[in-house]
Amino acid sequence: MTFDEIHETYWPKVYRQCIGYINDPDAAKDLAQETFVKVWLQLPNFRNESSINTWIFRIAANTCLRQIEKDKRMPKSELPRQIFEDTPANNEPRVQFLYKCISELPEIERIIISLELEELKQKEIAKIVGLSEGNVRVKIYRIKEKLTQKFQQHDR
Amino acid sequence: MTDNIDFKKYWNKQKIEVPATEELIRKANQFKKKTHLKLIAANLTLLITCIGIGFIWYYYQPEFLTTKIGIILCIIGMLVYLAFHNTLAPLLLKNSIEVDAKTQLQQLLTLKEKQRFQQTTLLNSYFIILSLGIGLYMYEYAARMTLPWAIVSYGIVLFWIGLNAFYFRPKIVEKQQTQLNRLITQLVELNKQLID
Repeated sequence: MTFDEIHETYWPKVYRQCIGYINDPDAAKDLAQETFVKVWLQLPNFRNESSINTWIFRIAANTCLRQIEKDKRMPKSELPRQIFEDTPANNEPRVQFLYKCISELPEIERIIISLELEELKQKEIAKIVGLSEGNVRVKIYRIKEKLTQKFQQHDR
Repeated sequence: MTDNIDFKKYWNKQKIEVPATEELIRKANQFKKKTHLKLIAANLTLLITCIGIGFIWYYYQPEFLTTKIGIILCIIGMLVYLAFHNTLAPLLLKNSIEVDAKTQLQQLLTLKEKQRFQQTTLLNSYFIILSLGIGLYMYEYAARMTLPWAIVSYGIVLFWIGLNAFYFRPKIVEKQQTQLNRLITQLVELNKQLID
């Protein structure tokens, strides 16, 4: 696979990962771009030890997690709500609500649920985050429960 | 109200525009150049200083043992600093981004703890060795001066060393420490989320 093909295929997936993690379109674009910069730099060293899928999502997840190294801004939850609700809504409300709920989960759960929604196999998710498959399954179940609850409360 | 919400349906509706790859590749190249330059610059500055000091030894042929010890101490100080800096830098750069998240967070934690050591212990010893070196190095030349001049020159150097020791150094150390401590706490927190 050439870099252009990878970029074409994976940009939307990686971008969704990032926006699920951070729920801010600009910051998500930066994270996705950083991921692809790393992919581009590392691609010559990529050995087919793991699938390209796992490889790219690992880089994306690690890039998101390493965000804390440079994140000097205030965590989102400490900022007044106003700022975020003012950003142009180019998605339908339920889509926005889903991404908002995900970005409020603990970091690792954000990554796990994003990968699940991207339709990765649980075995692959386990390889990306470094947990056992069984643990991933339990976590996904619990996260979905949490999200369902939030949606139900929201609909009320 | 339903228990079975199709999250995937909403997930895939996120609006996305795919940017062109040119800008990305340009950025990647920039990043590569910049990190290389930084490392080279740090090495060059200290190495040139070492060569400069070595040249003084060769050219002025100091007679006192204190001068020679002073020069050696300064060079050792700088080389030790460089050695640590150089072994840490590649780790900072690469720190395998291709491993799973758990391994990566653990690596990052080890690295940051190592960095914390480097920034305090190493900076302190670098500083002590360098000050000691300069003090010894100066002795030969101060001994040849008249007493008032010797006092003035030592006074200036001591003032400069003191300013660094009690003003700049604690400030730098404190700033780095708060940053690193915050990061380490967050990393420990993230690691906790990954306990099987």
